[in-house]
Amino acid sequence: MLKVEVYRYNPDTDKAPYMQSYELDTQGKDLMVLDVLELLKAQDPSLAYRRSCREGVCGSDGMNINGVNGLACIKPLSECVKNNKLVLRPLPGLPVIRDLVIDMSQFYEQYRKVEPYLQNDTPAPAIERLQSPEERAKLDGLYECILCACCSTACPSFWWNPDKFIGPAGLLQAYRFLADSRDNATEQRLSKLDDPFSVFRCRGIQNCVAVCPKGLNPTRAIGHIRTMLLQSAT
Amino acid sequence: MKNQRPVNLDLTKFSFPLAAIVSILHRISGVFTFAGVAILLWLLDASLASEDRFFALQETLTQPLWQFVIWTVLAALAYHVVAGVRHMLMDVGIGESLKGGRRGAQLTVVLAVVLMILAGVWVW
Repeated sequence: MLKVEVYRYNPDTDKAPYMQSYELDTQGKDLMVLDVLELLKAQDPSLAYRRSCREGVCGSDGMNINGVNGLACIKPLSECVKNNKLVLRPLPGLPVIRDLVIDMSQFYEQYRKVEPYLQNDTPAPAIERLQSPEERAKLDGLYECILCACCSTACPSFWWNPDKFIGPAGLLQAYRFLADSRDNATEQRLSKLDDPFSVFRCRGIQNCVAVCPKGLNPTRAIGHIRTMLLQSAT
Repeated sequence: MKNQRPVNLDLTKFSFPLAAIVSILHRISGVFTFAGVAILLWLLDASLASEDRFFALQETLTQPLWQFVIWTVLAALAYHVVAGVRHMLMDVGIGESLKGGRRGAQLTVVLAVVLMILAGVWVW
């Protein structure tokens, strides 16, 4: 029997969050954490969590699994369970709406700040803006982000300054557009990031890299932005 | 909607990778070194007061407790320097990958421990 502890909080009935224990017969199968949650929900329909695609594409079911952020749908028990115990908590640092469901407004607000869309004030060509394979290759490792928030909510700098530090997810996207050869708003983008908090609160501890379910590297992207900021300041 | 929502931020419930621990220790050792410099400056000031005070202090510093104090300051400084160099290397893009970051963190710990042992040998 797998012992599962789940962070529970119902704003209508609970004054404070608490941990609820469950036992589950996994029949020796190496289930995904999301499968465990689905089985628990069959036992206890009051349990709340977000989920959608169940294959690591939508980014809905980010949560703190045995102390490490990850996507429940693609995290097999064999990779996270220790001593037959599974502890599920909501992503750290953001307000909890109910059980494992968090309010991601602050996370999205930081994403909004980096203006995550192509900006180009030159006249649009007849068909499309072309990009060489080399230019396109610069976006690899950046565009794949699914905004699950595992990285930003694993980042102490984001915990302490969720309103001022863009966070790893937002900065990865900021660099995605700085690096795009079709975008020509580079200077404006950089000037908006040029303050002590937006980028420079990153201390390079790489919690983001360690937890990213897509294997991306926000630390490196932040390093590139820092270099661009230093160069543009000359 | 409630305004006062709880936040899951009990740091004891999370498991941090080595790179994160190396980084927070860098800051802690920095604060420690800063405090240590105050002690060292005070010792320097005392030693410069007179010849007698200098020899008295030299005598005092052979006591194990004082030697330990000196060693902890040196150990904190050693760690802070090694971890600081790691941070600077990462700033120029060395060891920014997941693997590289981990290796850098391990290397930092090993190097710092070696330096701490050497500092201990030097003090005692």
